[in-house]
Amino acid sequence: MKKYAFLPAVLLLWCVSLSSARAEPVKCFESRKGASEVTQRMIGENLPNVKCSPKTGAVLWWGDPLDGTVPMGDMPVADADYNRGKAVVKPRTDKVGLLPLCGNTCHTGVLPSGFPQNKDTRQLVMMHQAIVLDATKLPHGRGSIWCLDCHHSTKRNKLVDHRDNPISFDQPQLLCGKCHGEVYRDWREGIHGKRIGEWASTGTKRWFVCTECHNPHNVQHGERNRGIAQHQPENAPALPKGMKTADHERRQHGAAKH
Amino acid sequence: MDKLKRFAVDYVTYVVKGSPAFYAWIALLCALILGLLYGTYLHAADGLRYTGLTDQVHDGLYLANFVFLVGIAAGAVTIVFPAYVYHHKALHSVAVLGEMLAISAVLMCMLFIVSHMGRPDRLWHMLPIIGIYNIPNSMLAWDTLVLIGYLFLNFIGGFYYLYKKYTGQPLNDKFYLPLIYVSIVWALSIHTVTAFLLNTMPSRPMWHHSMMPIRFISTAFAAGPSLIVLIFLIVRARTRLWIENSAIDLLATIITYCLGLALFLTLSEVVTDLYANTEHAMGLQYLMFGMHGFNDLVPWFWGSLAAMIVAFAILLTPYWRTNYRLLAIACILAFCGIWIEKGMGLLVPGFIPTPIGEFTQYFPSTLEIFVTLGNWAVGFLVLTVLLKGAIGILLGEIAYAATAQDKTISGNAEVSIAPELT
Amino acid sequence: MHVTNKEKICNQQSPAEGCACSGQAPGAAPADNVSSRRNFLKSAGMLSVNSLLGTAALMTMSDDARANMDWAEWFQGNYRLMSDEEKALARARLERRYSREYGKAVTVDGTPAQEGVLMGYALNIKKCIGCRRCAKACVEENNQSRGKDQEIEWIRVLKMEKGEFSKEKMNQGYPEGLGIQVGGNAYSPAGVVLEGEHYYQPEAVPEKGSVYMPIACMQCEKPPCVKVCPVRTTYREADGPVVIDYNWCIGCRMCMSACPYWARRFNWSDPKLPKEAMNPVTHYLGNRPRMKGVVEKCTFCIQRTRKGRYPACVEVCPVGARKFGNLLDPNSEVSRIIERKQVFRLKAELNTYPKFFYFMD
Repeated sequence: MKKYAFLPAVLLLWCVSLSSARAEPVKCFESRKGASEVTQRMIGENLPNVKCSPKTGAVLWWGDPLDGTVPMGDMPVADADYNRGKAVVKPRTDKVGLLPLCGNTCHTGVLPSGFPQNKDTRQLVMMHQAIVLDATKLPHGRGSIWCLDCHHSTKRNKLVDHRDNPISFDQPQLLCGKCHGEVYRDWREGIHGKRIGEWASTGTKRWFVCTECHNPHNVQHGERNRGIAQHQPENAPALPKGMKTADHERRQHGAAKH
Repeated sequence: MDKLKRFAVDYVTYVVKGSPAFYAWIALLCALILGLLYGTYLHAADGLRYTGLTDQVHDGLYLANFVFLVGIAAGAVTIVFPAYVYHHKALHSVAVLGEMLAISAVLMCMLFIVSHMGRPDRLWHMLPIIGIYNIPNSMLAWDTLVLIGYLFLNFIGGFYYLYKKYTGQPLNDKFYLPLIYVSIVWALSIHTVTAFLLNTMPSRPMWHHSMMPIRFISTAFAAGPSLIVLIFLIVRARTRLWIENSAIDLLATIITYCLGLALFLTLSEVVTDLYANTEHAMGLQYLMFGMHGFNDLVPWFWGSLAAMIVAFAILLTPYWRTNYRLLAIACILAFCGIWIEKGMGLLVPGFIPTPIGEFTQYFPSTLEIFVTLGNWAVGFLVLTVLLKGAIGILLGEIAYAATAQDKTISGNAEVSIAPELT
Repeated sequence: MHVTNKEKICNQQSPAEGCACSGQAPGAAPADNVSSRRNFLKSAGMLSVNSLLGTAALMTMSDDARANMDWAEWFQGNYRLMSDEEKALARARLERRYSREYGKAVTVDGTPAQEGVLMGYALNIKKCIGCRRCAKACVEENNQSRGKDQEIEWIRVLKMEKGEFSKEKMNQGYPEGLGIQVGGNAYSPAGVVLEGEHYYQPEAVPEKGSVYMPIACMQCEKPPCVKVCPVRTTYREADGPVVIDYNWCIGCRMCMSACPYWARRFNWSDPKLPKEAMNPVTHYLGNRPRMKGVVEKCTFCIQRTRKGRYPACVEVCPVGARKFGNLLDPNSEVSRIIERKQVFRLKAELNTYPKFFYFMD
């Protein structure tokens, strides 16, 4: 129902953007490169939906933090103290559609005969390797979990909980919280993770879900072993007047070393 | 009232006349003031962008000179105090010269503050009633108060004395002496408050120690009388006003004590800071030895220390101290040494490193140097004029009776023997 | 659709004063010529009553009276002491000047502090990756001067080495050979606070072996900068942030000396702010364009936070290290962090009582 209200607005904006400038639409990434993206456009006079970094392409400023969001839905935790009506997320279910070929051959909704019925670790073939190069060495869980611990075995555009119930891709926290309970708790309370919008505890907020910041297929990032991938940093501040370089900063530390 | 008008007219006609050397000196000062005018114009038009100041080192040459000159202003009390408290005869007769020095020094302080400010056009915001005067919280507000007060005390005291001398009337001690005693204590207050201006900020550990007021006063009472001794020697050489040896000797003694104390305090600070060598000693370390490859201030620090030690050695030896040629050298060394130590040597390491540990450098720009010279030139111009007038009155060359007499004898009498003050 | 959302923000945040959300105000047309006056007046109707009063007062002036307007700005009193009418006038005057200078409708908001709010901030120092997105977002939002001539950033991110202890350094005591008990590993910077790199520029962050520490204004409860200001142009607002009336600042820079966090910046010349990049939604005490010779600093994005929005730096942090909220609300993010996590205040020994907390998971 709400979609019908959105449609004219989208059309209008589309027309406006066509008539005003035919410049190539600028796409920026929201939190991490490779995850959710947003296309730059004007949402009012002198008001862009986002401003992006010319250097890194990251969103630097939100004109409308709630743009394109939908209600997040319930959190099935008894003490989840959050404002249900005012917690919104950016949906990504529409982005996880399957290629027709995949849907016809393997992911038909039932487990094809001949496929292993258990969740034992085994090598994957074909397109899955683009996501995880070697599924037997999934860099998440250090060998103790495997694809079907998170992905539903038959409903392939759904995640899965402990009892094989499907979980929407819009709510990966329900899945991640299975193991990362402590982090999940912090996230529910706004201590962990990112939210934008209104700061009041009763305010409307867009919640960034786990996978918008973390890449679940590669959480270790090699030697660094951190949950966040490396980013290209923004430019360093301008050097103070009279300074040519900042080489002095890389000298030895300690008060007595001069 | 008529007398007062006469006084003004005689005073002005006297001070504008002089030898070619006097005019050359004035011309030099005016040339420097042109630089100041240009700099002030640029500051007003474009802000302080032409200075070498940065967000890291945001107070530089201007504030450094301000701090030093407050000391010079306070140092004038080294004449007034012995003259009126210990009734030192020789100093008593020339005490007014100290007040003239104080007036010009305070004036320079004010000029440097105006140069330093980002919005001098909004100075009126500091005025009580039409603006907001943040007293008692702001040390800068206190400093303004004591400096303006000191200017008035010296102006009133000095010109009251000169006027009475001019008319030949006796001083009204009930009015004059309290003024003098207040101004003596007030002199201490201006430099104490200037020290408080800096050392009440724990954000700058280099400054944040309780020794700063006494160190300020001891250096001021060394640098101030050094300048006075130099002025006295010039006055003796170039004018007919004779200043007794005993006056100069007493000042030399004061310089000796105060310079010794200043050196001792410097030593105390160095030992206190560098023994434990905490993060808070980085500023001093940067100043003394350089840090992270930055060592532009190092020669200045050691040069200043050497100058002060040599001056102290000369002053400490009676045989050298009484040789006025050597004494002059000692005074120049002490003056310059303290100017460096208390100016750039104190301010800049307060900003390097910044409170969050950034190391930078500060290079005063050419314009900054010109403005600084210009401010000094204004001060010296005022000082020259004030001293010349004061000396003329002390010599009796400007006198109410004399002018009246001159008038009756010859219509166009001129002060024929103007002091060749340079 | 953004309209729907904006309305939500407005209604929710300020039900009492109606929808005075200046986020909508860019609808006001540039009042550069007489023909656009009607538009201007009409759109001004969307503004708060105060602004309207000011605008109406300005309507009586001709465009030739610009110089007079600048004079009026010069003569205006301290914002904190102005009556509501004077405040509205001052803001309307600025709105007109800015709209003229930047060629778009600029709003200067004056929303006062809300009761029951004490703004607080928390930063997860373990999460920060040093990407400096916060520093740049702040510039986008707060109209700082940018470019080669004068670049101002309110947030400084420090990179600190974790340091390494090594066998090789075991025999490198300092000073050498004096038998003093200082080991060669003494100066390994592990755990060193505030001795970092400010101008690091690697290909990617976070680097292995580095930790990052962003520093900006701490909005102290007992701010030393406020105490030293000779004209009380910088003061603590009732809801917490320390603000500056840029029109009252005399540029003495005492506050910059007094700040232990190096949070204040000075406009050495008139700010270089490109017209197209200028953010037209401003607050008098916040991000309105500054002038030469005055000090500026972080205000917790007062133009946003007073309207309910998160500060700009919070919204762009890619790792969610930055948290903002009401310290008086036990359910706010910051209150929960203080309750649940170990927090520390930078340079707590100075008793400035920052409302900016660092914490770790």
